[in-house]
Amino acid sequence: METFNALIAGFGVAMTMQNLMLGFIGVTLGTLVGVLPGVGPALTVALLLPATASFDPTGALIMFAGIYYGAMYGGSTTSILLNTPGESATIMTALEGNKMAKNGRAGPALSTSAIGSFVAGSISVVMLTVVAPLVVDVAIKFGPAEYFAVMILAFVTVSTLLGASMARGLASLFFGLWIGLIGIDGQTGQPRFTMGIPELLDGIDVVVAAVGLFAVGETLYLATYLNKAEDKLEQVKGSIWMSKSDWSRSWKPWLRGTVLGFPIGAMPAGGSEIPTFLSYSVEKKLSKNPEEFGKGAIEGVAGPEAANNASSTGTLAMLLTIGLPTSATAAIVLAAFQQYGLQPGPLLFETQPLLVWGLIASMYIGNVLLLILNLPLVGLWIKLLSIPRPLLYGGILIFATLGAYGLRNSWFDLLLLYIIGLIGFLMRRYDIPVAPTIVGMILGPIAEQQLRRALSISQGDMSIFVTKPISASILLLTVALVIGPLLWKRHLAKRAGALPEAAPT
Amino acid sequence: MVSIALATLGIFVVGSTQDISAGAGYSQVGPRAFPYLIGTGLMILGGILAWQAVSGGWRNVPMDDETNHDAPDWVAFAILSTGVILHMASIAWAGFVLASTFLFTLVARGFGSRRLFRDIIVGLIVATIAFFIFTRGLGLNLPSGLLGGL
Repeated sequence: METFNALIAGFGVAMTMQNLMLGFIGVTLGTLVGVLPGVGPALTVALLLPATASFDPTGALIMFAGIYYGAMYGGSTTSILLNTPGESATIMTALEGNKMAKNGRAGPALSTSAIGSFVAGSISVVMLTVVAPLVVDVAIKFGPAEYFAVMILAFVTVSTLLGASMARGLASLFFGLWIGLIGIDGQTGQPRFTMGIPELLDGIDVVVAAVGLFAVGETLYLATYLNKAEDKLEQVKGSIWMSKSDWSRSWKPWLRGTVLGFPIGAMPAGGSEIPTFLSYSVEKKLSKNPEEFGKGAIEGVAGPEAANNASSTGTLAMLLTIGLPTSATAAIVLAAFQQYGLQPGPLLFETQPLLVWGLIASMYIGNVLLLILNLPLVGLWIKLLSIPRPLLYGGILIFATLGAYGLRNSWFDLLLLYIIGLIGFLMRRYDIPVAPTIVGMILGPIAEQQLRRALSISQGDMSIFVTKPISASILLLTVALVIGPLLWKRHLAKRAGALPEAAPT
Repeated sequence: MVSIALATLGIFVVGSTQDISAGAGYSQVGPRAFPYLIGTGLMILGGILAWQAVSGGWRNVPMDDETNHDAPDWVAFAILSTGVILHMASIAWAGFVLASTFLFTLVARGFGSRRLFRDIIVGLIVATIAFFIFTRGLGLNLPSGLLGGL
């Protein structure tokens, strides 16, 4: 009941004219930028971070939630029509969706993805509303030791579970942690790793780092290695509406995708890759016509799309209640909170209930806006996809430099942008995942703070992390998550026995 | 070819790791613990990556069949880099709009566009719109530079 009242109050905040407008602008901008090929949700959110700078915190965050949802949705449109998944969460959508588009069924593919996102988004926001207060009740008891343990868990899972190689994921994470160290130490005022450059005292801004890695690095990479490659844009022919059989084949995958997506997205190990892969294989197994999979089965779009959307809400639930980002995109959203001096977590529910619940209420509204916006505007998104590459990347770089320069009008930020872009280029070239770097640099300073607090409480005794039950069990889980897959691989290798050295996958 | 590149990366990682761990010594007691942790971690990981590179390349790398790493287009790379660096050098005095138009044109050229005139016009339009949206609408401060009087 308390939750319900809080939510109603939240709707009061979200329904004001200004906040509705901001939500609408956010959803539109997010989709607009997210649709552009090569621009994933994380980059969209980073590029648009400066755009929210001049509003009050509630309005800016509501706009930001809209951007987040819009970016997620825009990415799937690109995958269906271009077969270039902007990020790993939409690989599955691209798989079936692009086949459907090739068969002239782009319309129903886009529809099932839009309506599926709406269904999944709405259901999972309800789940968030119910679950959040419960998590907050637990999280409010967390001390520094527990927080540090949770962050270690997030670090490990983000960098090891999602990439192909544990060593590369961890290398990326540690690089991010190092970037996070640059600047003035929050507790003693010592400058660290600034190399005597005054501009570095404030640290490296998240916008500069994220835009550098994602936009500049990716642009350099594409120009250098994929200049000749041509993308084939599928045309949308015929009706965009779904037929009766499309509906009856879609609704169950939507619901199953939601059920898979939300909890996995909410776990620190989550991300959206695992639920979309799971949803795809579940749908394939349950389908009455599995032979259609790989040739454009609508279930293979409906399920993973719903899972993708539900998991992104799950990620937000984690971010709001514990303050823990479990994806690069969520890490940048966390940076947006920090811009306003807000630290998401259980305390925020106490100190700023209207802001938090207004934000949650705006997610309900955002989902409706997305649905209304997307179906009629499909034609516009397709036009965006046919922008010639030279012009597209020229535009992306203009906005990238605008974001970096606009922060404090310093040419030094542009130099940093280029250097980080070069690093991003190398990481892309050698298949080192970028997401752990972002999570590391944003979460690193918080983790350090909690570590040092925990250690000053225990007067330097490291055992505080293993003697407190909650922190001990979280750490144990972390170890299990690292060792488990290794043992499993070894087990499989033993089973394969006689087979020669694992074939390249 | 690929193995040479991988070995170079291994050296690169080890090299940068050494820089970092040396840097970790700067700070005093307290703020030093965490950097030490990270410096050590980076060194260990650099070692593992170098070893992996020497002993047979990356593990489990999914090969992207569209990607052709054998024929890098370094001219494009250089054009893009020039664009970004010139933009950095010129933004303060030439102003956001002119610097960005120039950047846009160079990037388009880097991606193989031959239509110089179109690129300049489109770049000018995009930069001008962005300038007005961000300065007037969203209150960001951008230099107007040479075009300031217009």
